[in-house]
Amino acid sequence: MLMRFSKAIQGVAFFFAAFTLQQAWAAPDAIAGKAKAQLCGACHGENGVSSIAGTPHLAAQPQLSIFYQLLQFRDKRRLGGGMEAIAAALTEQDMRDIAAHFAAQPAPAPHTGGDPQKIAQGQQIAQQQYCSSCHGAQLQGQKHVPRLSGQSSEYFVSQLRNLRSGARADMDGTMASAARSLTDEEIEAMAVYARSLP
Amino acid sequence: MKLQRFTRTLQNAMLTLGMALSSLAMAQTPAAPAASAIPPTWAQGRTPEQVALNLVPHPPGMTALPAEDIPTDKLKVPAGFKVELWATGMPNARSMVQTPKGTLFVGTRFPGNVYAVVEKDGKREVKTIAKGLHRPNGVAFKDGSLYVAELSRIIRYDNIEANLDNPPTPVVVFDALPKDEAHGWKFMKLSPDGNYLYFQIGTPANITVQPVTHAVIVRLNLKTNILETVANGVRNSVGMDFHPVTKELWFTNNGRDWVNDDLPNDTLNRITAKRMNFGYPFCHQGDLLDLEFGKGRSCDEFDKPVMKIGPHVAALGMRFYTGKQFPAEYTNNIFIAEHGSWNRSKKSGFDVVRVVLDAKGNPTKKEVFVSGWIQGDDFWGRPADVHVMKDGSMLVSDDVAGAIFRISHNK
Repeated sequence: MLMRFSKAIQGVAFFFAAFTLQQAWAAPDAIAGKAKAQLCGACHGENGVSSIAGTPHLAAQPQLSIFYQLLQFRDKRRLGGGMEAIAAALTEQDMRDIAAHFAAQPAPAPHTGGDPQKIAQGQQIAQQQYCSSCHGAQLQGQKHVPRLSGQSSEYFVSQLRNLRSGARADMDGTMASAARSLTDEEIEAMAVYARSLP
Repeated sequence: MKLQRFTRTLQNAMLTLGMALSSLAMAQTPAAPAASAIPPTWAQGRTPEQVALNLVPHPPGMTALPAEDIPTDKLKVPAGFKVELWATGMPNARSMVQTPKGTLFVGTRFPGNVYAVVEKDGKREVKTIAKGLHRPNGVAFKDGSLYVAELSRIIRYDNIEANLDNPPTPVVVFDALPKDEAHGWKFMKLSPDGNYLYFQIGTPANITVQPVTHAVIVRLNLKTNILETVANGVRNSVGMDFHPVTKELWFTNNGRDWVNDDLPNDTLNRITAKRMNFGYPFCHQGDLLDLEFGKGRSCDEFDKPVMKIGPHVAALGMRFYTGKQFPAEYTNNIFIAEHGSWNRSKKSGFDVVRVVLDAKGNPTKKEVFVSGWIQGDDFWGRPADVHVMKDGSMLVSDDVAGAIFRISHNK
C-alpha cells in the first residue's frame, strides 16, 4: 500500500516535471493552473473539494495561502501527505497558477447536521482565541492566511494538533502560540464549528 | 524494590481517584467560560474602530522575483545618482554585512537562509550558505568568522569565506536568549573595537509591560561571553550603526502600532550614556504618553529620540554614509530603509531616507533618497537594510523582491 502510494507520488512528480518549462514570472493564471492541477484533484478533488477524509479542501482558499504552503512543502519546512515530493517538482509559476485555479473555485458547501452544542462551543472558543483577527470574520481567510470555513474537520483537527505539538511549524509563531493551550476537545469543537461555516 | 513499586501503584491509584473526584466536582458546577486568550501580537491594542479598517500585516516575502520581472526602473533617486539591480534570487534578503575581501552576507527572517554574494571573474554569484536556521536575521563578521543572530542564539561559522560551497557546522556562541517569536528576530552589529556584538531583544507584544529582559539593546562580550544591557525601553530596533567619528551607537526604533494613522512615529536614537531608557511602554517618540500604560507617568522620566522619522513607516536598517563616492555633503549622513506601513489607512514608508546631520552631529532634516517601491496602493518590494560599499556606492536589500539594488553617483 505504502509502496504503491510512493510510486504514485513519483508518477505525479514526473508529470509535473513535464510542466517545468522555462518561462518568465507572470501573473498567476487560473486557466493554466487548471491544467497543471489535474493530479492535485486525485486527492483534493477536481474542484478543490476533497472526498478523502483528512485531505484539505483547497476550493476558495486565498491564492497566496496555497502558494505559501506549496513553498513550505518544497523547502521541507512543512511535511505531510507526500506533498514535499509533489511540490519539489513544481516551479514557482506552477504553484502560483495552481493556487489561482483552486482560489477561483466555489467554496465547499457548509457541513450541515453538526451537533449544535458543539458548534456553539466551537464558535465561543474561536472568539476567545481571536481566530477571526487573522482568518477573517467568517474564517474565510485573507492574503496568506488560510480559509477555515467549510474545511474538513479531520484536517482541521490534525493540523491544529500538529501546530500545538510543533510537528508543523507555522510561518511566524502566531499559530504555535494560539494552539499551545488548546485541549483536544476544544480543537474538535472548533473544527465542527469551522466546517459548518459557508 | 517491591515496596517501592507498591508505593508507586498506590500513588497512581490515588492520583486516578483524585482526578476522578475532581472531574466529578467539575461536572457538578457549571463549566466556567475559559479565559480569553491573547490576541495575535499585531492585533494587540487595536480599538474597535480600527478593527473595522481591516488592516492586517502584509504577507512576508517568501520568494525571489526573477531578475527580468523586477521593475528597477520604477526606483527614483536624486539627480546625479543611478540605481541598478545588483543581485537577485535571494528570498527574503534582509540584513547585510560585507567582509574586507568583499563577500556580502545576507540574513533572512522567514526562509531560514543565509546568503553569500561573491564576485568571481567579473561575475556576481549568489550562494545559499545556510538553510533551516530559525530567523537568521542578524549578520556580523569578525576575523574570518561569520556571526549569525537567530531568534534565540548567536552562532558562528569559522573560516567561512574559504568554505562557501561547503560551510562548516556552526559553533554556538550564546544560546541563553528569550525564545519569544514576536520581535524576536535580531539586527546585529559588531562594535568598532571588535569586542562586542550589539543586538536587540524586542518586546514580546505590540504593547505590554515587558519583562526586564525585553525591549532592550544588549551587547555580548566576545571575550567573556557576558551579556549586558546597553539601553532600555526600546520597543524593537532592527537597525543600528556606530557614528564613524564619535563611535556612539545610533539606532532606529519601531513605535507601537494602533494609536492612530499619524501616531506614534518611528524614531532615530542616539546612545550618549549608560543605562538610557527610551520610554517603552510608557512613553512613545519621547513626548507621547501611552493611553493605557502611560497613566501616572511622565515622558520627562525618559530619554528622547533625536528625530521622529514618521508614523508606522517601519524604520529598519540604518547606516552612516562613510564612503567617498557621493557628494561631500553626504559624509556621515544617515540612510534608513523604511520597510513600509501596514497599520495605516494610507501607506507610508516603502523608501530609503537620508537624514542630514549638522556639524555637531545633530539631525537637521530628513528627505526621501530612494522611492518607487509603492505604486498607488500596491507595493512590489520592500527595502529592509542599507549598506555602504568600499567604493562608496550603497546597497539596498529588498525582502519582497528577494534582491539587492546598488545606488551609485556619477561624478
